[in-house]
Amino acid sequence: MKAALRAELFKQRSTRTVLGLFAAMVGLVLFVTLLHGLGLSAENFDGTAEQITAVFGWGEVLGALFAALLGAISMTGEIRHGTIRPTFLVNPHRRSVVAAKVWASMLIATGFGLVAGALAAGAGTATLRARGIDVRLDAGDYALLVIGGAAAAALWAAIGVGVGALVRNQVPALVGITVWLLFVENLLVGDIAGIDAVGRLLPAAAGRAISGQAPETLLAPAVALVLLILYAAAAAVAGSLAASRRDVA
Amino acid sequence: MSATRPAATTTDPLSREPVVKVTSLTKRYGELVAVDDLTFSLEAGTVTGFLGPNGAGKTTTLRMLLGLAEPTGGEALVFGRRYHELDEPARRVGAVLESNDFDPGRSGGDHLRALALAAEIQQSRVDEVLELVELVASARRRVKTYSLGMRQRLGLAAALLGDPELLVLDEPANGLDPVGVHWLRNFLRSFAEGGRTVLVSSHLLAEVAQAVDQVMIIDRGRLVAAARLDELTGTGQTLEEVYLELTARRAS
Ligand SMILES: Nc1ncnc2c1ncn2[C@@H]1O[C@H](COP(=O)(O)OP(=O)(O)OP(=O)(O)O)[C@@H](O)[C@H]1O
Ligand SMILES: [Mg+2]
Repeated sequence: MKAALRAELFKQRSTRTVLGLFAAMVGLVLFVTLLHGLGLSAENFDGTAEQITAVFGWGEVLGALFAALLGAISMTGEIRHGTIRPTFLVNPHRRSVVAAKVWASMLIATGFGLVAGALAAGAGTATLRARGIDVRLDAGDYALLVIGGAAAAALWAAIGVGVGALVRNQVPALVGITVWLLFVENLLVGDIAGIDAVGRLLPAAAGRAISGQAPETLLAPAVALVLLILYAAAAAVAGSLAASRRDVA
Repeated sequence: MSATRPAATTTDPLSREPVVKVTSLTKRYGELVAVDDLTFSLEAGTVTGFLGPNGAGKTTTLRMLLGLAEPTGGEALVFGRRYHELDEPARRVGAVLESNDFDPGRSGGDHLRALALAAEIQQSRVDEVLELVELVASARRRVKTYSLGMRQRLGLAAALLGDPELLVLDEPANGLDPVGVHWLRNFLRSFAEGGRTVLVSSHLLAEVAQAVDQVMIIDRGRLVAAARLDELTGTGQTLEEVYLELTARRAS
């Protein structure tokens, strides 16, 4: 298992994919925080929760998104390029291969989440201050955004690996993850389904809750953390079973 | 098939178990029977050509042997075990199924390094196999810049990382230039001379005839011939003539 993990970590850093994802994430976090921080009218920034939703929370949202993409690509990339064949020849214990991908992706995604959270915090604070708006976050809020965001990113990376192993085809996997995180859940969580009922139990909402977003409507961070761990474990196990049972083309 | 070259190994012939043992191996894809009740075994020190028309079931057979596909029926054993039951598979079996199983954005050297890490093989061995397939100068370049022949050699290098006893190659000569084919042929011969075993599928019959001890021909998933090359061509026919006769489809 240690060897499998070392191999997976090496794979992640021996192409430019991870670096490209990281750069895209950084760019997008800055873009969205600055856009919202500068563009939204001042009444959007009345309270702590409002400020987090409008500006600071984007660190977690985009960190989780890119973490999930990273995890998915670690699986679908190998299927797409055929490296899954030599990978499984060298280590025919496919569950250990998937597990190594989960841990490696979680590790790197933790870094993604920390950077995304810190960037959003820094850029958001600077932008609001520049506009003369009072930043209503205390140290605890910041800490939860960054650390909770890192936890959410790590767990979403595991979900990504699971989804990648289940879907196998790269484009649908990545599009599916992106659309789910950025649109589908927002729609389900919005007025249609009613957030109190089901919406807040969904995985993207749990990720947001872990970092302290929308505390009025979402779960408490600790509860959300447990819930997202369950989602991540379920996805990883399902992906692992799928990878073990299906033939490799 | 049990025909063996004059033993190059010193092991007691009585205790020798076949390196590959395939029994009633069957693979169905819905209605299609890709591999149909295939039985054969290969002994150490042999080079076996695995022949058959497109779609005959060669790759499917090799995938089942290597644990990549699950048989619908029967079994395929390497060294007496199913592939995933081998303790250190990379040190016993080396295989290349497709000529382009690389991430185009990763260098050839790093491709080998990743596999070596997974198999707990030293970096010095990576350098050795790079040398062997003459890719040292290109090891740092990304695979997307490699020619087809370079990819074939990189795949072979990956298969050789664990210094395996059995080499399984699916059409390894495709895309190799004449020098490369010549090199591969000599390599396979010397590989087997040390008592190791090669199973190689190919459509290049003239090349096969120069490199193998024995051939297995399958057609529509079924074994149609398995014999020593000199037995098959003993009547003065070339391998190609024998092959065409055996695999001739009934007219229209
Ligand atoms: N995953 C799959 N799903 C459905 N059918 C398959 C699958 N893999 C192989 N087949 C079918 O099984 C048969 C045998 O294919 P296989 O690739 O083993 O042939 P082959 O002998 O390697 O041919 P070639 O010389 O062209 O490589 C073919 O009819 C092929 O279409
Ligand atoms: Mg084939």
